[in-house]
This record gives sequence, C-alpha cells and structure tokens, in this order.
Amino acid sequence: MAAEALRVEGVEKRFGALTVLRDVNLRVDRGEVLGLLGDNGAGKSTLINVICGFHRPDAGRLLVDGTEVALRSVDHARSLGIDTVYQDLALINELSVYHNMFLNRERRIGPLLNNRLMRRLATEHLRDMGVDIPDVTVDAAKLSGGQRQAVAVARSVYSDARILLLDEPLAAMGAKEATIILDLVSDLKARGDMAIVIIAHNYAQALQVCDRVNVLQQGRITFDRPTADTSVTELTELMVPGYRNRRGARHDPRAEGA
Amino acid sequence: MNHLHPAVEQALDTLPLNRLTRRRLLRGTGLASASLAASALIAGCTDKPTASAAGAIGNFPKTPSWKYVFVCHVTTNPFFTPTQYGAEDACKLLGVQYQWTGSVNSVVAEMVDATNTAVSAKADGIALAVVDKAAFRAPVDKALDAGIPVVSFNADGARDDPGTNRLAYIGQGLYESGYELGRRALAQVASGDVAAFIATPGQLNIQPRIDGAQQAFKDSGKPVTCTAVATNADITQGLSIIDAYVQGHQNLAGLLAVDAGSTQSVGQTVAKYKLRDKGLKVAGGFDLVPETLAAIKSGDLDYTIDQQPYLQGFLPVFALYLYKLSGGLLFPTQTNTGLLFVTKDNVDPYQGSKTRYEGSDTAPKLVDRSGPIPHA
Amino acid sequence: MSDVTVRTGARQPPGALLRRARDAFLRRREASVLVVAIGLVVYFQVATPIFLTTDNLRNIAQATAPTAIVAVGIVFLLVSGEIDISVGMVAALAPYLMHYAIDLYGVAAVPAVVLALAISALIGLANGLITTRLRVPSFVTTLGMFYLLYGILLTTSHAYPVAVPEAAKGRLQAWLGGADWATLIWCLAIVATFHIVLTRTRWGLHTISVGGNLHGATEAGIRVNRIKVGNFMLVSVLGALAGLMEAFRINSIDPNIGGGTRITFTAIAAAVIGGTALAGGSGTVAGALIGMFVLAVLQNGFNLIGVSANPFFLIQGAAILFSMIANQYLSRLRRRGGN
Repeated sequence: MAAEALRVEGVEKRFGALTVLRDVNLRVDRGEVLGLLGDNGAGKSTLINVICGFHRPDAGRLLVDGTEVALRSVDHARSLGIDTVYQDLALINELSVYHNMFLNRERRIGPLLNNRLMRRLATEHLRDMGVDIPDVTVDAAKLSGGQRQAVAVARSVYSDARILLLDEPLAAMGAKEATIILDLVSDLKARGDMAIVIIAHNYAQALQVCDRVNVLQQGRITFDRPTADTSVTELTELMVPGYRNRRGARHDPRAEGA
Repeated sequence: MNHLHPAVEQALDTLPLNRLTRRRLLRGTGLASASLAASALIAGCTDKPTASAAGAIGNFPKTPSWKYVFVCHVTTNPFFTPTQYGAEDACKLLGVQYQWTGSVNSVVAEMVDATNTAVSAKADGIALAVVDKAAFRAPVDKALDAGIPVVSFNADGARDDPGTNRLAYIGQGLYESGYELGRRALAQVASGDVAAFIATPGQLNIQPRIDGAQQAFKDSGKPVTCTAVATNADITQGLSIIDAYVQGHQNLAGLLAVDAGSTQSVGQTVAKYKLRDKGLKVAGGFDLVPETLAAIKSGDLDYTIDQQPYLQGFLPVFALYLYKLSGGLLFPTQTNTGLLFVTKDNVDPYQGSKTRYEGSDTAPKLVDRSGPIPHA
Repeated sequence: MSDVTVRTGARQPPGALLRRARDAFLRRREASVLVVAIGLVVYFQVATPIFLTTDNLRNIAQATAPTAIVAVGIVFLLVSGEIDISVGMVAALAPYLMHYAIDLYGVAAVPAVVLALAISALIGLANGLITTRLRVPSFVTTLGMFYLLYGILLTTSHAYPVAVPEAAKGRLQAWLGGADWATLIWCLAIVATFHIVLTRTRWGLHTISVGGNLHGATEAGIRVNRIKVGNFMLVSVLGALAGLMEAFRINSIDPNIGGGTRITFTAIAAAVIGGTALAGGSGTVAGALIGMFVLAVLQNGFNLIGVSANPFFLIQGAAILFSMIANQYLSRLRRRGGN
C-alpha cells in the first residue's frame, strides 16, 4: 500500500457568518493523482488554500506523511514540500523563462546573478521533465498557455515540492495545450514520490489523468471513488440533480403539491 | 494654403528659400516639409532685426549684429513684458538682437545654466537679474574673463553685497525705494501697526524693499511698528492671505506691499472691507498693474511706485552696445530707472493710455501729453 | 522560434549582415532614445557650430547630471510599480539640512552631508511605509510628503537662500559638484552601478517582478514590501545627493530648486523617454540617462539658437512630443522585428 502523503481530517473553515468548509476529509497517497471536483463556490479554492498554509482551519487537522502539522504560513507549507500552482501562474512576464524558474531562489556569484548557471540548470530540468521549451532566455510573455503552466509546475518540482496542488490547470486551454499538462502530470505520477491534487471542471480530462476523484459539495466531500469505478455521466448526474432539485422547488408548482 | 498667418509668412521670409522650395513647403506634407516648417517656426521665434543689420545706423558706424542675452528670474511674469518691449525697441534702433531667457520660477540653477550657455555661445553682452548673492559670482566672472560685458538689471544682489563683479546695475534702487515707501507712509501715520506684505521673502529683488521700509520706520522714531508678512508668488493665494490677515488684525494703521501682486491684493482688500472708513491711515505699494491703478483712482490705495520696467530692458541694451562700440571706454553706469510715485493726482494718464511703454499694448505709438508738469 | 535564420557555411551578403546588426541594435530597449538623441545632436550642431565645443558640452553635462541621478532612482521606483513626486523637495531640503547641521549644531562638513543623506533616507522610508503598510497609493503619499517637506523647508529657512557653509567649501565642495566635471563623473558612476543592479542582481530582478506581477511575486515568496520600501529610500537618497551637488555647483542653497516640481517631472520624463514604463515592470537606467541627455540637449540647443522664453515652451513641448513619438515608432519596429 502506497504511503499516505497528505490527510485532511474534519477540517472546518468559516468566513464570518459563512461556513465554507465543514468536516472535510480527504487523503492523497504518494504516486497518486487526486481530482477535486465541485461546483463554483463549493469551496475548492478555500480547501486548497487551507492545505497550502494560506488559511488556518477553524477546526480539524492536517497530516503530512502521517505526522500532524499546524501550518503557520505558505512558506512553512513550502518547507514541508506542499506547493500550489495557481491559475494566475505567478510567472513574471517581463522576465526570462530561466529567471522565472529560479524566482526567489536565484543563483549568484557574489552580489551578481549567475545567469549562465541558471540557464544551464533550467534547460536541463525542463528537458528532464519533458517540457518542450528550446530557449530558456525568451521572456515568459512569449510562451503559450500550456508552456507557462509547464514552467510553473517545473518550478515547483524543482523546488522540492512533493505534494503538488494544481488549481484549475486546464482552464482556458485548448486540446493541444491541455495535452502538455496532462502528459506532464503523468510523468510526475510515474516518478512515484509525488502526490498531486488537481482541481478541474472538465470531468473528461480529470478522469483521463486522475486515479481517484473527490467531489466537494456544500462544504463536504460527498463522493470518493477511484476513476476506474466512475464515469463522466455519473459525475455529471451527481452535480446536476442537486441544482435541479433546488431549481425545481422554486419554479415547479408540481413539486409543492401532492 | 493661401491664407497664411502673418507670423508664419514673416518667418518664411527669413529663410533663404528658392521659389520651388517655398512652394513645396507651402503645399507639401511629410518629414521634409515638417522639418522645414519647424526650422521656419524656430527662426520666426528668434528675434531677428528687421532693420538692416549690416548697414550703419544714424551716426554710428557699421557694426555686426551683436546678440545680448537677458537672464531673468521670472521670464513669464507680465511685469517684465514692457522690459522685453524696451529691449526689443532698443535692439531695433541699433540693429542688434536680444534673447530673453532664464527661469520661470526663480530657480537659480536654471539662471546659472542660462548664463553659462550665453558665455559658451559667445554672446556680445549679458544682462542678468542677480537674485542670489553667491550663485552668480562665478558665472559672471567667467563671462568677464571671456570678454563679455555684464550688467545687472532689476535686482543686484543684497544691499551690502552686489554678489557679482558686473559692470553696472540698471534698475530701481531696491533698498532706497523701500525706504521711500516707508517714509511716504509716515507722512500719513503717526502711530500704530503697519503690515508690510511681501510675496517671496528673502528674494533679493524685493526683500531689500522691506528692509528699507522697516528702516525708515525705525529712523523716524515714531511709535509705529512695521511687521513683514509673507504672502505668495501666486496672486490668488496672496489675496486670501492678506484678507485673512486683515480680518485677524483689526485696527491696522497702514497696509504696505513691496511687489506688484501684493499691492494689487492690498487694494482689493481695502475696498472689500472699506478699511478707509475704519481707521486705515495709509495704503501703498509698488508697480502699475491695472487693479492697482484703479485702486489709486478710487482712493483705496494712496500711492504706488513705478520702477519703469521698460527702461530696465531699454537701457541695458544701450549700455552694452556703447561699451563694445567704444572698445570698452564707454563704461556702463549705475542707473536708477526711477522711483516715481503714482497717486490720485497723476494716475489718469497711466490708466487711460494703453501703451507699449507700460506693457499694456504692443503697438508703438506717440502718446500725447500736454499741460504743466506737477512738481513740489 | 527564432526570427533570425543563420545559413551556416554559405557566405552572407553584406546587406544581410548589416540588417542583422541593425536588428540586434534595435532590439535593445535603449536604441530608440539613443537614435533620437543622436538625431538631436546632429541637428543642433548643424544649426549652431558651437554646440559641440568643450565649453558647451560642459554646460550640457552640468544640466544633465543632477536630474539624471534622480532619474536613476525614479526608474527603480517606477519599475517596482510606484511613483514619488516629493523627490524634488528632498533635493531642495537636503542642502538645508546640511547647512543646519554645520551652522547651527557645529557638525563637521562630511558628517553633515552624511546626516543629510541619512535623513533623506528616512523620508523615503516614511514614503515607503505609508504606501505599503497603510495602503495609500504612492502618488497620494508622495503628494502629501511634497507639501509637508515644502512647509518644513519654508518655515525653517524662511525661504531665504543661504550661502554654502564655510566648512563645506574647499575640497568637499569641489568633489561634490563644484569642480567642472564633478557632477558628470558622479552621474556616470551612479548610472553604471545601478544599471548593473537593475539587470544583474537579485534586487533588480525582484524589483522587476514586483512591478510586473505583484501577486505572482508575492506568491513566489518575494518580500514585496521590502523591495518597494527599499526603492523609495533609494529615490530619496539619490534626490538628496542631486540637491547637494546642485547647491555646491551654483555655490548657493536655493529654496526654489524644488522648483515646485521641476526636478521631479523632468526626472520622470527622462525615465519615460528613456524607455521605462510608467505602469511598472520594465525599465532601463541607461535609457534614463539618455532621456535626460535628450531633455538637456533640447534646453541647451534652443537656448544657443536664441529662442526666447515665451516661444521656448512651445518648441520644447513640441520637441518632447516629437521625441516620444519617434521613440514609440522605433520601439514598435523593435518589437515587430523581435517577433
């Protein structure tokens, strides 16, 4: 049985009067890719933010590699190997690819940057990860969407992230671009030492790459199934009726009587 | 394309263009035409003499078209408009040219730069408003070492130290005029508090006036206090400041001002609060802006002092010209451009005529005057 | 994919080589403003042959150097996404601080200069903290600071110009601006140093990141507030240095040098003309120097030609617009070439 990388137990998070997360239970193993699905506003981003140390949970606990941790900050989480790749990607457009790779971890000779070393290391690392960016000196602005994602993921991996959270990595990406990311995630999975959580809206793509899916509804994980045991149809049906019920109760007079 | 502004037409005439180029300039578009147009515009903006610079003038021999640089501390201030007219008229008479430059906001560094540039450009003479005691010594020395005569106009350093080795000062005796301002006020006030307003304290073209006024009060021995109050180089703000001061200090015996803006504002304040009915004994100031003249006419202000800015442009040109013409033997002389009191008795012609010599009109014309000349 | 194809083995026709050199040159951000600067120098030399004399070049250098030094700091601050319009006042106040230290408190000359710079750094610190901690937009913060400093300057000095203190005269004055080429040497040293800082050090890289993508830079773990505050302090110190140097150059401490906003706007204009984006995220220190040179050349050249004060502004405004348009046009050529 694979080692458990991350476990979330009974986590609750409130913002004022609004309870976004109530009693969330979740786990990811090493070498596993977990898909986190749910409607907009279900709390997926909040959950990610709790896991990566940005928010402190009001109740519940987190365990990394079986040990309970109280995450003080994003930096603390990073030091434990938990890193998030957000949609806005945290790439600086005006900087080159290799400078982005080494952002805040720059290599230096004395006070000056060691650009040659960073270029070489960046090229090697991207090649190792199977990311196709031939020239690391181009500005990040010139990359395609898929390439930018890849660089962001590569940066996290290079910085020893072992629990990787990808917030909607496939949003706004065409089929070809999405393939870059899906291939990358598969490669990372194959390494065996990484645990990856992907937030996605496109169930088909999620099922393609994830081993297991969790559905977050009304602040709870209501569905936890290996991908092989479910389908796009089932997931869709899971989401929609809840909506249909609420809608029906408001508009359908037949739902009220009899 | 046929309707050209006369200024552009005139500018075009100064360029040595053959007919083809001129036609192309008037019709054409594109970079060539634009740069030609730009050169013409620049040429039109530099003051070129229309009199024949090469030929002899009057009894004077033929001289090159000498160029004099006026370095002023507030180049765009309307006070100096008649000064520029004076310089222009003198230049036209003598077949020479002048350039009006300096700083807009009394930034001394800009004036120093302008002076240095004039020296590098080998100007034939420099007229400089010396508003700082120390900053102009080196630039003026450099000019003199290069054989360029330098006179100061309108301001001449501090009372005890002209601050430069300029050949002569052409302008109003600042300290003296302030002293007269105070002395004249004392004729109408025997005791009490007098407020003296100054737009930019410390500035050497008006600070000596306040010093003079305060000294006059001290010398008189009368129980009159003269308090200096700072207003602002911006007239509208100065008005608010004077207004507030007057409201806060009732029963002032006198209101004086040492610059054009403050004087105008004093007149307006006196009228607004009808201070003449409330025990104000005297109100006076400097310069002849229209509001000030109106206040004199109506009696709100007792007097103002004219320093004849026209002459401050006219005379330096002649001084510099004669110096060069005579090979340095006709030396510029200290010239007081006048300390004339304008009161209700003689204000009419100032108000009535719009002339180039007061800066209120551009057209040169003969202003008629008849009748006896008032005297003591 | 690179836009420059290299045909290995075959000899290249000279035209292609020239075109490659031109492309490489134009690719540099500073190229456009340099072209404009050279164009202006040629124009003025043709118009008045004394333009390129040593004497006049010295005048241009003295007019360029102090504001260029301020522009260096402004570049850093603009790149990091902020602005400082109080720097002109710091430049005006610093010589007075030195004067008070020497003449009122008996401090020796060199420590007085250091003290003036240190106090100016504190002013920059205040600007930075108010902007980052209290979340006041930097324009507003520095606007308030501008008036605050103006008031301090006027009340303590009574708006009187003051002579350079005796203790500071002599060698200190000569080194810090009195000698003919002193300001230019300081300016070149500062420009060279900070150009390297912006392009080749972590501080520069992080400054660009903070200005280019504040959110992203924060997530990457960069201490964005520290970067911004540091750059505010840099601007103020450079402004103070420029003010001290001007005072030593003209041998007088002039309260008007804050000029309202002359130094500030000229420095910002120089930075922008030189290729620094007002919106942040990209900039060039060398470009700011060239931009300042352009402005000084315009001022000096038209003065030499003999343009008088009133039409002068007309010409200067048109010239700045023309320079900027040429700059933009050349930049567009550059971008198109790079794609």
